[in-house]
Amino acid sequence: MAIKQGGFERKSKTSDEIPSSSLADIAFLLLIFFMVTTVFRTDRDRPIEWPQAEATEKIDEKKKNILNIWVERDGSVWMNDRPYAMNDLAPTVAPLYASSDRHLVISVRSDREVPYRFIDQIQEQLVAAGVVRVVFATELERSMTRERR
Amino acid sequence: MAVLNNKKSKVSDEVPTSSMADIAFLLLIFFLVTTVFPKDSGLAIVLPEEAEEVEVSQKNILHIIVNPNGIVTLRRGESQQEQQVRPSDMEGIWRQEIASNPNLIAAVKTHPDAAYRFMIDVLDALQTAGAERISLQLLEG
Repeated sequence: MAIKQGGFERKSKTSDEIPSSSLADIAFLLLIFFMVTTVFRTDRDRPIEWPQAEATEKIDEKKKNILNIWVERDGSVWMNDRPYAMNDLAPTVAPLYASSDRHLVISVRSDREVPYRFIDQIQEQLVAAGVVRVVFATELERSMTRERR
Repeated sequence: MAVLNNKKSKVSDEVPTSSMADIAFLLLIFFLVTTVFPKDSGLAIVLPEEAEEVEVSQKNILHIIVNPNGIVTLRRGESQQEQQVRPSDMEGIWRQEIASNPNLIAAVKTHPDAAYRFMIDVLDALQTAGAERISLQLLEG
């Protein structure tokens, strides 16, 4: 009997390599998950500080039927990455509302420190545009944060 | 040339799959980075139709006045008595009021200079207490 491998016998038949044959499968699975869940942003976020509310709930409407109106701390109004004058809101929103088959939901994303007169003007514009469903975008407030304030 | 069965090409006849995982991971990282999970949440309200004005008896109105300093002034219907409360107390107050008068309407009147978040605090308290008939107005005068 010839002496192999310096007299040492290999005891285990398991491979000493990390099994990599399923790596591509795992990668593709994750890839498909992210491809399906990805929603590309329609507009960029404006720099605002969100107000907080305990009663915050999810908007029950398709993403494409949600229109964001941003109000910055100085009262400037932004929609679809463009600044708007307050009086131009109603003429802009009305055709969008009509083309969405009255499904459009307006999400008012306003800075928490904005004086209320701007919010009231926006509400007037939306009423003039005929929109009925409006959401004041807020962050969910947990009771803990409230007690700390 | 004695050997007949000589392979002419050394190119493999299989689709090269060794770089597949790399491609998949590249795409994976791209989607990982670009994914933004939608954050659409807030306090939902339904605005009235234009020119829809309803006369409401004063006794069914709870005037909730939001002051610029965040303090809430309460006035019930026609009475001139005012009560100062904190926005966080509104939830309990509304539950008491609605129990004694189920037709009550919350008229939230916010001062033009009051910060938006004070109105949200009051609206939050009302919605947490289950209020359905809420009117949002600008404080006049």
